[in-house]
Amino acid sequence: MARPHIEPFVDRDVGFKKMTMAGMPNGMQYKTLSMDTDNGAVTMTVQYDAGFKQPPGFCYNEMEIFVQEGSLKYGDQVCVKGHYLFLPAGKAMPAMSSDEGALCLVFYNNGAPSFEESDANHDACDEKNFASVNSYDGLDWTGNALFPATAPGCLLKMLHYDEKTHGMTFLYCMVPGFWQDNISYHDCAEEAYHIWGDSWMMQFGTLPTGGYFWRPAYINHGCFASERGILAIGRTDGDLHNHFHHDPYSSPQENAERAAARLARQKPAMYKWILTQDHNHVPHDFENPHDHVDPMEADTAQVIQPDGSHWP
Amino acid sequence: MTLGSLTGKQNLRPEMTADEKAWVEEELKDQIARYETIVKAMEDMTAEREQWVADFLHRVQTRGFHWHAEQRRVIPKEEIRPRDGRPLQVIY
Repeated sequence: MARPHIEPFVDRDVGFKKMTMAGMPNGMQYKTLSMDTDNGAVTMTVQYDAGFKQPPGFCYNEMEIFVQEGSLKYGDQVCVKGHYLFLPAGKAMPAMSSDEGALCLVFYNNGAPSFEESDANHDACDEKNFASVNSYDGLDWTGNALFPATAPGCLLKMLHYDEKTHGMTFLYCMVPGFWQDNISYHDCAEEAYHIWGDSWMMQFGTLPTGGYFWRPAYINHGCFASERGILAIGRTDGDLHNHFHHDPYSSPQENAERAAARLARQKPAMYKWILTQDHNHVPHDFENPHDHVDPMEADTAQVIQPDGSHWP
Repeated sequence: MTLGSLTGKQNLRPEMTADEKAWVEEELKDQIARYETIVKAMEDMTAEREQWVADFLHRVQTRGFHWHAEQRRVIPKEEIRPRDGRPLQVIY
């Protein structure tokens, strides 16, 4: 599963489209930010119109909703700006409505948007990851605990963290005048949307409010700066390690090789173990014996080449 | 890879309906156009970007390179890899 490298894109540059797909509720307009070319998973800016109404029901795949402006009524709860919902696949939502309208970011993580009217969860729903929190009100900013870390002045609020993949959804901010003189890349895809403010990267220039990127793994980004500061929402599809360096010309392939060389240096026993003993299958995890995600079988996202092939 | 959660099932109906498939196909067409617009816009910034890169390489050799948080190290000239003639590609 993969999405192309969409960076930078500013949603203010395009108009909303009316959602007319069969089964989807009325009163929903959207701008697609990026889409998975295989399964239709999609990130969208969504405007729920004033008067929007949706009966109780569920989406067949996992959803995340972040309210940017306005308010969205979720059952009896009024979700105002900063509210974040994580909805596992098949999790029944109560009736939803919006009197004044709501501007949201909506993520369909594993498939195209869908809606099935129902007042109960899908039989196969596993709802334990359900989350509902006002991130502006109920969560504290924390320093960046990664090593190596971003420069001081970049703070996080964790919204969702997957215990198995370490993929995460988070708010981040940069103080006005933030700067960081290094180039970074990661082993995972990274996605972000600017709720407010501007940031600058040496490769892509200035990204304003409404700015967005979907960046596959191993692609250089940085150095970094922010003149007015930013508030943004970010996501990764795996463990976020900052591979910092200062070579502006390195390619994703060189970056991946450098990351593998680091793994060999830092975890030599594991590296050797993986390379030897014919481990051409996913190692058995006695704690998670039923996991079936095989990186050798699945397309591990990342770069789509001009000829349509995927790398790595 | 997958976004969100690996715990539990991520899609309870992986086969798209005909309506969903048609919608996705239309959106993917738009996405190709969006990608091509981005590639062109980024190519148009090449001269400006080359100056930004020159400024960055100067700064890391004078003010320092952030190797961790506020920790900086001044990079000696011999650690700067000589450019081998490749273009500075930023979109992949």
